[in-house]
Amino acid sequence: MIETHGAAEGVTRREVLRTAARGTAIAGLGGLSLFLGVKAHGTVAWEIDAERCINSRLGAVGVEICDACATDCVLPLSAIRAINHHDECGRCYVCPAYFQIRSAVGPDGLPSQKLCPRDAIRREAIGWIDPDDPANNFYEYVIDDELCNGCGRCVMACKEPAGLGSIRLEVRHDVCLDCNRCSISEACPETAYTRREVDA
Amino acid sequence: MTWTRIETLGESPDGLFEEALRGLAFDAADRLLAVGDTELLVLETSAGSRSRHPLEVLPTAVTTHGDSIWIAHPSGVVVLGLDGGPQDAWDDPVRLGRVTDLAVGDSGIYLADAASRRVQRYSLAGEFLNEIGDHHRKGGFHIPNGAIDLAMDGDGRIVVANPGMHRIERYRPDGEMVDRFGHFDGVDPAGFGGCCNPTNLAVMPGGTIVVTEKAGPRVKVYASDGTFQEIVAQAADFAPTAANMVVAVDSAGRIAVADPSRRTISLYRETKGTAP
Repeated sequence: MIETHGAAEGVTRREVLRTAARGTAIAGLGGLSLFLGVKAHGTVAWEIDAERCINSRLGAVGVEICDACATDCVLPLSAIRAINHHDECGRCYVCPAYFQIRSAVGPDGLPSQKLCPRDAIRREAIGWIDPDDPANNFYEYVIDDELCNGCGRCVMACKEPAGLGSIRLEVRHDVCLDCNRCSISEACPETAYTRREVDA
Repeated sequence: MTWTRIETLGESPDGLFEEALRGLAFDAADRLLAVGDTELLVLETSAGSRSRHPLEVLPTAVTTHGDSIWIAHPSGVVVLGLDGGPQDAWDDPVRLGRVTDLAVGDSGIYLADAASRRVQRYSLAGEFLNEIGDHHRKGGFHIPNGAIDLAMDGDGRIVVANPGMHRIERYRPDGEMVDRFGHFDGVDPAGFGGCCNPTNLAVMPGGTIVVTEKAGPRVKVYASDGTFQEIVAQAADFAPTAANMVVAVDSAGRIAVADPSRRTISLYRETKGTAP
């Protein structure tokens, strides 16, 4: 009885331990699958909060430009881009995000230098163009995705009151590696770069 | 000659209004009128007295003509007596979407409508007469700032700021352009800097034009022929975010400039001496 009892008790304990270990493993795998599934479907991703980013935050005027998005990404060309929201753009003749507006005026009456160090913004007159009076046209400003590195200079220059704030830094999710520990997030001085739920 | 700041009104942390300071004018007695929130503020700067008159509209601009105070709101005007008592009111919500300034003279009422980006002219009785600025191939004045500012000069011409083109344009009451001046320059103060300046203007009794600019904020004067004269005030006098700084002049040539960010009004007078 004692032996039988002892043998029966030993098997039961082993089975309990085995079952518990199996359960823990399944639960762990389930959690991992869920995490990977969510990550794969892109419902949680790294995002920039424009209201926190110092380059786009209203009221942050006369401050240094932050270029952490350009310098701290692990990719050779950062996954961050400046995006011009054309529906909010003033289509100005002299855009402070395109021109270095404090540079000397050239013979064409426009600033002689551009702001973007990578010449990533294209300026083009749109609509019914007045060939005699260039100030009498609307202009479209298109940012070249292959050249922009997200340095933020145009974002800061476009911000109110100098501009309308139509240019903002955004993550290109098709390029972003979605690192668990994002180096931009760690470098961001404004905690503007965080993992958030996004539309799938 | 140089310009000196006499005083800044409302320099407490709260400013002259709780939420917004939108319009400024002097009346014939050189009382300073300001509108903001939902009230008219009358300041007798020499006596130091202030009186507030509640309004039933959201005021966007103020001027005077005859014995009346004319206040614009987004779709019309209200007319008050010099004591603040109501005289008249009308609106035209079909034609007017966002009136940001007005001028009144014997030739009519001129409402700067940012929604249509044109100036709408009405008779003093409120009958629509004609538009100003509709000839522009851009469809109207180019106003990335979202506001049109204007004034009437001593010859009855309508002087309008066209900031997106870095120009000041003068029109006859019927809408025909008389002339224009201004160009972009981000270095030489004779030009207008930034994306869209000047934002606001006023005309002195002798025809001198006072303008304000944003980013960085400053105040400048031009002769009637468009020749740059001098800088009245620079960025240090205003909040860095100040934009659309409405300006008014009195009969003695004093200049009043509103800082919408701080909700204050700074007064300047010309003094003998050399500009720094």
